[in-house]
Amino acid sequence: MSKKLIRLADCCMAFDGELVLDHINLYINDSEFLTLLGPSGCGKTTTLRIIGGFITPTSGEVLFDDVRMNDIPPNLRKVNTVFQRYALFPHLNVFENVAFGLRIPKTVEEGGRKRKVRVPEAEIRQRVLEMLEVVSLKGFDQRRISELSGGQQQRVAIARALVNRPKVLLLDEPLGALDLRLRKDMQSELKRIQQQLGITFIYVTHDQEEALAMSDTVVVMDQGRIQQIGTPEDIYNEPKNAFVADFIGESNILDGIMHEDFVVEFFNRKFKCLDKGFAPMEPVDVVIRPEDIDIVPAEKGALRGTVTSVTFKGVHYDTIVDFKGFKWLIQTTDYHSEGETIGIVLNPDDIHIMRKSQYSGMFGDYSSYSEEYDDLEDVSLLEEEEGGDEE
Amino acid sequence: MKSKRALFAVPYVGWLALFVVAPIVMVVIYAFSTAGGGFTLENFARMGTYATVFTRSFWLALLATLICLLIGYPVAYFISREGPRFQRVAMMLVMLPMWMNFLLRTYSWMSILENTGLLNRLFQSIGLIGLVNRIFGTSYDYFPMINTQGAVVLGMVYNYLPFMILPIYSVIEKMDGSLLEAARDLGANGAGVFRKVILPLSLPGVLSGVTMVFVPAVSTFAISRLLGGGTQMMLGDLIEQQFLGGAYNPHLGAAISLVMMVIVVVCMTVMNHFGEGEEQAVML
Amino acid sequence: MKKANRTGSRFLIGLMFLFLYLPIILLIVFSFNAGDSSAVWRGFSLNWYRELFQNRLIMESLYMTLLVSLLATVISTAAGTFAAIGLYSLSRRKRDAILMVNDIPMMNADIVTGVSLCLFFVAFFQGWGGFARWFNGVQSAVELPTRLTLGFGTLLLAHVAFNIPYVILNVSPRLRQMDKNLVDAAQDLGCTWMQAFWKVILPEIKPGIVSGALIAFTMSVDDFVISYFTAGSATSTLAMTIYGMTKRRITPEINAVSTLLFLTVLVLLVVVNVREAQLEHREASREPRKPTLMERIAGRTNTPGWRWAKRGAGAAAICCFVAVVVFLTGATSSQPVVNVCSWGEYIDEDLIGQFEEATGIRVNYQTVESNETLYSLLKSGGADYDVVVPSDYMIAKLIEEDMLEELDYSNIPNYALIDERFKGLSFDPGERYTVPYTWGTLGIIYNRNMVDGEITSWSALYDDRYAGNVLLINNSRDAMGAALMYLGYSVNTTDPDEIRAAFQVIEDANRRGVFQGRVMDEVFQKMEGGNAAIATYYAGDYLSMVENQADGVDLAFVIPEEGSNWFVDAMCVLKDAPHKEAAEAWINFIASTEANLANMDYIWYASPNKEALEQYPAYYEETYGEELDQETYEIMAAPPEVLDRCEVYENLPQETLSLYSDLWVELGVG
Repeated sequence: MSKKLIRLADCCMAFDGELVLDHINLYINDSEFLTLLGPSGCGKTTTLRIIGGFITPTSGEVLFDDVRMNDIPPNLRKVNTVFQRYALFPHLNVFENVAFGLRIPKTVEEGGRKRKVRVPEAEIRQRVLEMLEVVSLKGFDQRRISELSGGQQQRVAIARALVNRPKVLLLDEPLGALDLRLRKDMQSELKRIQQQLGITFIYVTHDQEEALAMSDTVVVMDQGRIQQIGTPEDIYNEPKNAFVADFIGESNILDGIMHEDFVVEFFNRKFKCLDKGFAPMEPVDVVIRPEDIDIVPAEKGALRGTVTSVTFKGVHYDTIVDFKGFKWLIQTTDYHSEGETIGIVLNPDDIHIMRKSQYSGMFGDYSSYSEEYDDLEDVSLLEEEEGGDEE
Repeated sequence: MKSKRALFAVPYVGWLALFVVAPIVMVVIYAFSTAGGGFTLENFARMGTYATVFTRSFWLALLATLICLLIGYPVAYFISREGPRFQRVAMMLVMLPMWMNFLLRTYSWMSILENTGLLNRLFQSIGLIGLVNRIFGTSYDYFPMINTQGAVVLGMVYNYLPFMILPIYSVIEKMDGSLLEAARDLGANGAGVFRKVILPLSLPGVLSGVTMVFVPAVSTFAISRLLGGGTQMMLGDLIEQQFLGGAYNPHLGAAISLVMMVIVVVCMTVMNHFGEGEEQAVML
Repeated sequence: MKKANRTGSRFLIGLMFLFLYLPIILLIVFSFNAGDSSAVWRGFSLNWYRELFQNRLIMESLYMTLLVSLLATVISTAAGTFAAIGLYSLSRRKRDAILMVNDIPMMNADIVTGVSLCLFFVAFFQGWGGFARWFNGVQSAVELPTRLTLGFGTLLLAHVAFNIPYVILNVSPRLRQMDKNLVDAAQDLGCTWMQAFWKVILPEIKPGIVSGALIAFTMSVDDFVISYFTAGSATSTLAMTIYGMTKRRITPEINAVSTLLFLTVLVLLVVVNVREAQLEHREASREPRKPTLMERIAGRTNTPGWRWAKRGAGAAAICCFVAVVVFLTGATSSQPVVNVCSWGEYIDEDLIGQFEEATGIRVNYQTVESNETLYSLLKSGGADYDVVVPSDYMIAKLIEEDMLEELDYSNIPNYALIDERFKGLSFDPGERYTVPYTWGTLGIIYNRNMVDGEITSWSALYDDRYAGNVLLINNSRDAMGAALMYLGYSVNTTDPDEIRAAFQVIEDANRRGVFQGRVMDEVFQKMEGGNAAIATYYAGDYLSMVENQADGVDLAFVIPEEGSNWFVDAMCVLKDAPHKEAAEAWINFIASTEANLANMDYIWYASPNKEALEQYPAYYEETYGEELDQETYEIMAAPPEVLDRCEVYENLPQETLSLYSDLWVELGVG
């Protein structure tokens, strides 16, 4: 792989004695699109702010190119940030907002003498206009910020950061305030820009779909700890624990016992699987993705259950099935009416085995399934923003 | 980063301690001590002599505040219903008199209210005085207006009216128009909207207006002298006399100040209690 | 329906504005009056505007007002802004606690703020004096001043103290509204914290700062009460000068200066409003916004060379401001100076200029209202005078309390010119402390057109026939003195029964509504305008009232047959006065025959200078080309047979004084 650009070594962060980051170890490669993913309060924004230099970790080291950066203020880091809700300067127009960073004189050391260097006005003009073109805002340079739509403001914020040619761009929930449609457009736009410029993006979001769609690497965080690092495929297919399994996509998670390699028992039945390396008779979590489950007539199924609710989702149906008191979510394209008894078939590659963790037993049961789940997530995110800035 | 910025507050805290807290502590110390420096309660014991001044001050200030409210509220309300241009000019005109020294403006009232002043001459020329004399069988050459309690109240209303209009106006003006529409939608008529929505919502403005009028009114000292002719001694005059006037006694003056301050604070607390749950009183 | 509503509401708004502006319009109109009355129109003239620039008292206090307001605004705006920023990085609980203290000066009555600051300063000065003496004692490298007084410094501190809360109040909402990420964003883009402050925070909260500064400036200019208690005696703002004048007679120059100030602000506000309206109009019509001139200039000057030029210009402007302030304050402090305190309208002001020209000593001339006020000022440590001009009984009191410095008469050769009659009087029998300034009598001033026949007795003061038309003098000694003489007692009696009897006379009359008011110098305006029939006041003042009396007013003066008080006002130097030599030079100058003649002509009080007193009729004839009326001269300088009927006030023992003040309070309170 390409070289390591940024390294967080054993970083901890505490606010008022409360541990927010718990021994974070993370490296970020050059030209990588890395996403910090997790629910509100998981420490992802804090991690980003440590990299940006807005806060200093309580312990541990931040290394850029193997140089310790803990005490370097943000203005001296080759890192730029796109802020939540953009933080554009309302008193400046689009052009001046983008030119802001270029107008700050940089101190350069030359032969032991410190000298202030300014970017010439002509170059500023050229670079700003160029960058506005990159973010598809050509001709908007004299507009006032208040005259722009949310999506346009978003682009200005990106241009403002990128015009300084940072090695790393930090994006803190940049699409959170946009509507769904715009969000999708901006996702591909961001990916395009990242590939066009070939720089590192560190992206913070709580939206797993966004994370999976854009990232090279996803870092799943919860309660100040990294739960899993991997490519989107890895994370989805091989979740390390119940939290990741539940947070990334939908999962049915059951208690199981690993009898031997490739054999797992749950619901008092043994199933074949593709996992090995567990101790004999080790209790494990078993993950079964709802879309992997095939429904068959009751008599042909390996397990039998009763449909308790059906919701039409467009491409598929969300079917909740009761198996001996444990409710599963199954996604199929076929319709099964409520009260119907059905059977299911599980293939060995549909069954994922995870070691027991602190999250075991907390997720994966759909008895309290609610469609509003996603919306609630957004609300709590907003609360976190308000509260987080109070410090 | 942020903790560094918080350091900016440190000098100000020092400043507050020195120039706000310490002076008030001085007032307390003076109020409880004699010229020799010993502790005493005598300054408060003597307060009984001045009970009439206290009641007069509070009564007149209350009256002035009430009149200010009766004039100020409708005016503020009506202004807020005008176009933005009218509003801006009107508010400017409300503030503008502050740029003419209040003593001069009050003095000007003197020449209006005098026995041979503008008003009396006007009444004479339109025959009002004669008319009154004929109807009531009196024999006025003029209406005595100057050097009465009425004149003092008028002076206070005149000087402090802008402080009533301003906060009320700024609250009503900021009121969300859709609230009024919602109220109408829910079936309230014009008077109902006013009583059920506008009035309760403008209460914080009213409270801060009342405070801003009542506090200076109760402690005024020049107005009562100019328009009251020295016969309507008020708390402000009493305090001034103890510090810079004939009856030099700063200890008694401090005690009177303290008592006044405490009464005002209690009044304000009780009043603000009514508005509890409302937003913080709005100033300017 | 709706239409009619609006007319009604506009009518009400109009009425309210009429109420607000009637006195102001009157004031402006009378600033163009040819005469000097504020009630009688004598034709249009710009005279008072010309006079204004000659009037040193007004110009100096105007300058003082602007200087203090400007400095206080600049300081409090800067300090308030930083404090607000600091407060917003504190936790909410701490911030709320501090803001509560911050609100105290705004919620407290002005008079309490003023009084508390005054007490605080005085206490601090006392503490400082002790410290400085100790410090000077233990080392000799640095000499600390041991005597601090209220003055410009305390005035400025007080103004800053009451302005800061308003600045914070205006800046805070802006800070609260500001996106907290803006500063992070600026730093992220390469700014240091300081750069972020200048480039982002400041522009963001600028509207709050501007409105805070404007309110602070307005409050400062408008403030009277707090200044009054903290400025001490040697510094006087416009409001304080006006306060001094409201007691006597508002000179039309004050109307003129206020009109100028008012119109300036009016024009400024109109300009700002018109511009805002234009801007809004343009925005409403959705015209593309053209860069304003300033923005274009800013864009064009954004090159390194220009940047240095701009910085240079900024630095130069700041230097200029500092230089002007330093120069203006320095110009007044480097010169030798003498602080004189006297009564209002009690000197021919040309004399001040003449003295300054002759000696190079700057005269800081202040006035107070009465002997009692002067005493309070001296006691409270608020005064920094060298020369004071109290009356006889107060001089005795000051000597008794060791508050006066002995004079070196060899520096005052003109003392020899003082008539022997006025030397070695009861208050200064040893001729050690005083040089007489004027003398005169107390009597009844009445309007012939408002009373029946001639008045000859004090009884007129308590006569029901004149109910509502008598002005009681607002000074316990004089008011009680008149009543004592009416009853045939001595004005210096210490017999409580006699004093109570005299008080009863006044109180009864008061209860019957005989008195229209209790006045000191307000008596001028009232008597000249015919607003009262009878008053007790001083002979010299009667003569200046006659000069200014309105049409239909015919004033007369009488020393009642029961006798009256005659008084001497004398110049003295205060204990430890910092400029004793200059003070003696001033006293010597004022004691000269020329100065006495000029003063006598100007203030109509009799001179103690023998030559001046004798020469005055000739001087008058020479100056005005007509003979001086003998009756007028005798009112001014009462002949010996009249003086024989009169008594000088003596300093009374403490218990008698307490009785006086208790009774007087009783009258005021009742």
